[in-house]
Amino acid sequence: MIEFKNVSASYDGELAVLNDVSFTVNDGDFVAFVGTNGAGKSTTMRLANGLLKPTAGEVLVDGVPTTALKTSELARRIGFLFQNPDRQICCNTVREELLFGFAALGEEGPAAEARVDAIIERFGFEAQAEPYLLNRGTRQLLALASIIVLAPPTIILDEPTTGLDFRECVKVMEVVRDLNEAGTTVIMVCHDMEVVGDFARRVIAMTAGRVVADGATFDVLRDRRVLKEAHILPPQVTEVSLMLGRGEECPAPVAAANTVPQMVQALAAARGVEATTVEVEAIG
Amino acid sequence: MIEFNEFSFRYREGAEPVVRDITLAIPDGCFVGITGAAGSGKSTLTYAVNGIIPHCYPGDFYGSVTVEGCDTVDTSLTDLSRLVGSVCQDIDSQMVSTVVEDEILYGLENFAVPKDEIPGRVDEALAAMGIADLRDRTIDSLSGGQKQKVAVASVIALRPKVLVLDEPTAELDPASSVAVFDLLSRYARENGTTVIVVEQKIALLSDYADMLVIVDGGRIRFADTPDAVLAHSDELLALGVNVPRATTLVNALAAQGLYEGPAVRNVAGAAAVCKEVLA
Repeated sequence: MIEFKNVSASYDGELAVLNDVSFTVNDGDFVAFVGTNGAGKSTTMRLANGLLKPTAGEVLVDGVPTTALKTSELARRIGFLFQNPDRQICCNTVREELLFGFAALGEEGPAAEARVDAIIERFGFEAQAEPYLLNRGTRQLLALASIIVLAPPTIILDEPTTGLDFRECVKVMEVVRDLNEAGTTVIMVCHDMEVVGDFARRVIAMTAGRVVADGATFDVLRDRRVLKEAHILPPQVTEVSLMLGRGEECPAPVAAANTVPQMVQALAAARGVEATTVEVEAIG
Repeated sequence: MIEFNEFSFRYREGAEPVVRDITLAIPDGCFVGITGAAGSGKSTLTYAVNGIIPHCYPGDFYGSVTVEGCDTVDTSLTDLSRLVGSVCQDIDSQMVSTVVEDEILYGLENFAVPKDEIPGRVDEALAAMGIADLRDRTIDSLSGGQKQKVAVASVIALRPKVLVLDEPTAELDPASSVAVFDLLSRYARENGTTVIVVEQKIALLSDYADMLVIVDGGRIRFADTPDAVLAHSDELLALGVNVPRATTLVNALAAQGLYEGPAVRNVAGAAAVCKEVLA
């Protein structure tokens, strides 16, 4: 569990980049932080994993203030995926990269090697490949794998899909969804609202260093006040339903639809016909 | 006019050509969006327009590429850079100054623009990108979106005939991405500038581009209006190219027999189709 209690933060000790922020992320949550560049999302992530300490208030990880936890202890509890995998990758082979976290924590040995080998097989990596010669999407997957091989109970992902093509994006997010379904808490900063709508169960919207909304994904993404205040564009089907919902005669299911299948079913029902199953590949 | 005529290119260190048999004509003033899976050859196409290929990246160059009638192989990089302005994917690698105004001045002075013309060009470029208030700011104090606008402003100050941008909104939030595309589109329309954008954000490209080019395995699979290209959404997905969710919605309505008509490219189009279904 991660708790922010009235947290403020500054990089230079003067200009506050975070103002009186409070929220709790419970074990097993899948939370997306949304908002414009400079809203304070990445600062919040750095506070959560202890890279930055608050200037006021408290950040608690499993009930312990981050100021009282060693970096190595925080690293065991929270894995952090940087937006740019090249800031994270530092070894000459994929296998060495995956073993690096264990070495940093002083946990080398047969058990660590067995976990690395298992994840190499799971991700289909070539163990001796040189990380910097892999394509962008595979480097992102390697950076993600190097975190989850340590099995932290929480992972923080800063823009995990930026720069990836569609297939790479789907691959990364499916791994993240599997982890969350297996119990890992996922906290993600994301600008792609389709990804947020498809994967996150909760959204925290930020603007100018403060939280302006915290709730179920589509409760936040359908709130016109929040959309305006945080300069967020909703996922496209949600936007269509919000536009249609302004009409007085719009059927309620159409005005409430957030996904392609929901909208197709709602429109078919309005026409008095039954729609067959609609399947949509995730992230569109 | 930009013309690719049976253009193929193999980088010196590569075993195979990364783009093959490209034939494409881009009319003046066209807003072109290029997309495709990673490694499909998108950026190589832009390098062929701004002359980075073959002048900086040597290799085997087949066919021809001409910009405003100038063959990019025979024209020097300096002369090409007067015709084609480029904005890199990594903005920080493009910045050479510490202050915004100096960044805009740098290109103008290097191109020996007459001294009395320079202040007007700077004002015009800052105004076009909506960043007049940033003139005296240091580059390192700017957000990613602001830097992006400065990079574009420093290029349009040179008044190129063609603007080439490689993933200009990769690190921007949705509202800033839309703002950059709005500015680019308006600038291109008002000045007759040809704009070529490589981008993964298909919803943005579909909304703004006059021509959508889909590259797969180094070959052009589609080059047409967004509506015409998005009509092939199943094929696009098979190629690893996303389609806007608005397009997916309308295609699903068509598959259910609830709509008969062309594909749509954006939210407004999808909303209109839904209203038609409800009527």
